[in-house]
Amino acid sequence: MSTFAEFLINGVSLGSIYALIALGFVVIFRATEVVNFAHASLLLAGGYVTAVLHDDIGFWPALLAGIAGAAVVGAAVEFLVMRRHRGSDHSVLAIVTIGVDILLATELTRRIGTDILALGDPWGDAVVTVGPVTVAQTRIAALLAAALLITAFLLAFRYTSWGVAMRAAAENQETAALMGIRLGRVSLGAWAVAGGLAAVAALFLTVFPTPGLERATSLAALKAFPAAILGGLDSTTGALVGGLLVGVTESLATGYQGDLAFLGRGIGDLAPYLVMVAVLLIRPAGLFGTKELARV
Amino acid sequence: MNHRRQAVRGLAAALAALVALTAAGCSSKAKTGDGKQTGAGGVKTGKGVTDKAITLGALTDMTGVYATLGKSVTQAQQLYVKQVNAAGGICGRQLELTVRDHGYDPQKALAAYTELEAGVVGYPQFIGSPFVAAVKQRVDARDKGLVLPQAWSASLLGSPYIRVLGSTYDVETINAVDFLLTEKGLRAGDRLGHVYFEGDYGENALKGSKYAAEKAGLTVVEQKIKPTDNDMSAQVAALKQAGVKAVVISAGPRQAASLVGVAAATGLKVPVVGNNSAFAPQLLGTQAGPALEKMYWFASPSLPVGADTPVAKKLVADYRAAYPGEALDNGIVAGWTAASVFGEALKKACADKDLTREGVGKALLTLTSHDAGFGMTHDLGDPKAPSSRESVIVQPDKSVPGGMRTVRQPFVSDAAKSYTP
Amino acid sequence: MSETLARPGLRVRPAAYGGAAAGLVLLALPFYLDRFWLQAGLFAMAAALGAIGINLLTGATGQLSMGHAFFLAVGAYGYCALAGEGTDGLAGLGLPGWLAAVLAVVLAGLAGGVFSPIAGRLHGAYLGIATLALIFIGQHVLFNAHDLTGGYNGRAVPPLSLFGLAFDDTELLVAQVPFGAVEKLWYLGLALLLAGVLFARGVLRGRPGRAMNAIRDHRIAAGVMGIPVARHRAAVFVLSSMYAGLAGVLLALVFQRTVPEYFGMALSLEYLAMIVIGGLGSVAGAVAGGVFVSLLPQLLTRYSDALPLVSAPGTGGIAPGEAARYLYGAAVVAVVLFLPGGLARLAARKPGPSEPPEAPETPTPTEPPGETR
Repeated sequence: MSTFAEFLINGVSLGSIYALIALGFVVIFRATEVVNFAHASLLLAGGYVTAVLHDDIGFWPALLAGIAGAAVVGAAVEFLVMRRHRGSDHSVLAIVTIGVDILLATELTRRIGTDILALGDPWGDAVVTVGPVTVAQTRIAALLAAALLITAFLLAFRYTSWGVAMRAAAENQETAALMGIRLGRVSLGAWAVAGGLAAVAALFLTVFPTPGLERATSLAALKAFPAAILGGLDSTTGALVGGLLVGVTESLATGYQGDLAFLGRGIGDLAPYLVMVAVLLIRPAGLFGTKELARV
Repeated sequence: MNHRRQAVRGLAAALAALVALTAAGCSSKAKTGDGKQTGAGGVKTGKGVTDKAITLGALTDMTGVYATLGKSVTQAQQLYVKQVNAAGGICGRQLELTVRDHGYDPQKALAAYTELEAGVVGYPQFIGSPFVAAVKQRVDARDKGLVLPQAWSASLLGSPYIRVLGSTYDVETINAVDFLLTEKGLRAGDRLGHVYFEGDYGENALKGSKYAAEKAGLTVVEQKIKPTDNDMSAQVAALKQAGVKAVVISAGPRQAASLVGVAAATGLKVPVVGNNSAFAPQLLGTQAGPALEKMYWFASPSLPVGADTPVAKKLVADYRAAYPGEALDNGIVAGWTAASVFGEALKKACADKDLTREGVGKALLTLTSHDAGFGMTHDLGDPKAPSSRESVIVQPDKSVPGGMRTVRQPFVSDAAKSYTP
Repeated sequence: MSETLARPGLRVRPAAYGGAAAGLVLLALPFYLDRFWLQAGLFAMAAALGAIGINLLTGATGQLSMGHAFFLAVGAYGYCALAGEGTDGLAGLGLPGWLAAVLAVVLAGLAGGVFSPIAGRLHGAYLGIATLALIFIGQHVLFNAHDLTGGYNGRAVPPLSLFGLAFDDTELLVAQVPFGAVEKLWYLGLALLLAGVLFARGVLRGRPGRAMNAIRDHRIAAGVMGIPVARHRAAVFVLSSMYAGLAGVLLALVFQRTVPEYFGMALSLEYLAMIVIGGLGSVAGAVAGGVFVSLLPQLLTRYSDALPLVSAPGTGGIAPGEAARYLYGAAVVAVVLFLPGGLARLAARKPGPSEPPEAPETPTPTEPPGETR
């Protein structure tokens, strides 16, 4: 039982990181209806800035710089590329973000080279032990940070003018524009926020129990795809639930792979996708996603 | 419809003319002898060898998943070539190393192999065992150029032209388990955890650990992972639950660091040993560094780069001079060893006055006790066996150049002696 | 071709002769180029076939698919399993090569058919990421189903034989030029590509093509107009998978070994890049994009020493592999920015007084109205 609890807690904490990444997808999708495949590179960019700066200016300023850096990269992508394409097909825009991702990822991996960069976080490899269950402090921090940020976003979407503008833009771009909402600003803000979130996620993806930031770190962002989708691409709650679901599924499938050996070993990476397909079969717009309503 | 018939007729005529041109010898591809000739010094030469130069190919990965390994191996081999050339070359000819980076992409790897095939005598470097397997048929049947892959999988054994240098992963793992049994208190009846990569490397190593476990009366608890998994929390929790007394890891450096770090932090205080690919000196700078120095060892097919042999010391000094600021790791040893074995085969082939590919292949078979200077002798007489069954046990140690200290000199365990892949 | 040639008047001739000359050069190339170039050309042909397939689905019908690599894998491994003799310890039915190739393509189509009910329920980004699941499931199977796929190191591909001609490395002297596997496969590849292009053109220019474009531009409106949307979407999914399967078979024959590593997400993304660069919804564009994306890295690697900025591996600076990635990432972004419609539109727009006007039914990627809600 204690092992199960440990798997569960591991999964929840891992899931909270996925939720942060998924939230980035959701923010961009809500504002622009574009699936951002360049998210992995934003994550790498944020982590890279933090890793490079932490020695000189200390961890917390470096983290802020990382968040700012990724936000700037995100905003730059929106301003230089996405803005010019507004109005074209959403799948075309999604493919454009693939191009952007290739560019950014190539540059960042070239810079990182073969190094494994530490981020200089204050938690180190300290753990918290409650009874038979042991959890890393970094994971508790991740859970708290994710909960905090996601609550903040839920509130922001509901009560701030930015949130209202974004919801209006998501509802109907043309009407929103006619109502005086600056679509450009909404979309720019969304990309910057997504970048910042990605930087936070990068921090928690690269601290203990993982050795540090390196070129393959961005691959973890792939696991946030099923998280964002099965929660519903336009739902903040969905990002949280989806992230946790993916984290727990992965952790349990890995932990009990001995009992699942008939499916082939190493099922842990696959399980989130299987859950996603299953959910989509029942709810094509995800658990919390808005069902598409169309008028001809 | 007239135009159409005309066009067809014209096309056919033009095509016939073009084909006739090749027959008349206008295509450089048209067959004119087998390309073998006798060159300077009465030495028979073939593809990749002229009177002035011997060209070697290196198919490396400098932008993909094995970039760390590829960089070190390539730089060590470039260094070897430079030094050989400064000393007058081999057989009165200068060595040339043509490097192609395939970024661990099968299509690029095959393209690079094909591109270089026409102009090299062989390949002292080929990273990526699936790609080596992909060209195996061609190498054996037609190309016959010597390939020394930087992959230690037993599945690559058996070809007369593709030769694995040093112990394969299965043999290495058997030796590693022997180290756990003799020095780390692992006993019959215990459970042994094995975390391994999906794929050739991990599965080959698993074969070894299972064999060793059967011999010693251990039970193996398997945990398979993917190269993209960087967080070993779940694996450690599962191993802890299974009550393992020691862990073998056949994965990459990152996974080893995470595994050891988590195990140390969560109270799974058991010895962990890895294969030679499961460590990189860069890890000592990360948070897992102290834990690695305390409870982690790994097996290697040769002495580590910072070893106390004349060749190793000279190599470290030269490498540092040539590539200041670059990490010292065992990729350098692997690259150097492969280049020197290839160079040795070329020298033998030169003495036999046959620098064709077949000649080099034959010469290699006569190298039955080649010492590359890292504590091992390689016996290349039998294509079906790895060139050595010896392993060294190394412990991470910040204070040594390269971050690696030898704790057990080259040895072959009894189980490894009786093992047949 | 016949259609253009049959048109009266001098205006058609130059294009027709140009096409004939290009065809002639393509036919003669195996007599001159060495194995490296022929192999690169074959990769490009396979890429073009696969790109046509995904362009039918994503470009013409608007269904974002990131699972194309999976169907390539079905084709490649399907061929191996059907044609394999079972001598290497792996499952093999030992069918004749040509039959195995045909069945492998059918198998890929079936795989598409099995997935299409799921695909039919999903739209847009949801469909894109659901198809991503295919990649992960596919690779898991490829790595784990040892008896069928050979695991990590893949399995050898039995050579194809057609009318007694074996497409393997046994040398066949044609006009004193030794014909190995690539030379023979070159002609097979050309024939397959030509057939693939003509068929896809037929589909796009006919009723189904118009229906597909209508679905892309406005799914619900298309349904209201009486187009059986679900049936068309499923059919396109199957057809696109069959193209991918065919590309997979051709690739397997060129590789002579199938490796699971290859059929990953990067490959799927590459195909999407191809159709964006080439031009969404256009057959010629798919071919152009396929050739561009698959030849670019090879050209850069081969001529890395002659190019400024690009340096040989191991000397620092930008490696050729990286340069190729920069270029193709930039190409995707730049084409959408400055050249909506891709290379195909560029060719169509090229000024030339003798050029006949684009046939009206040619599917040009229209920017669909943004307000589909």
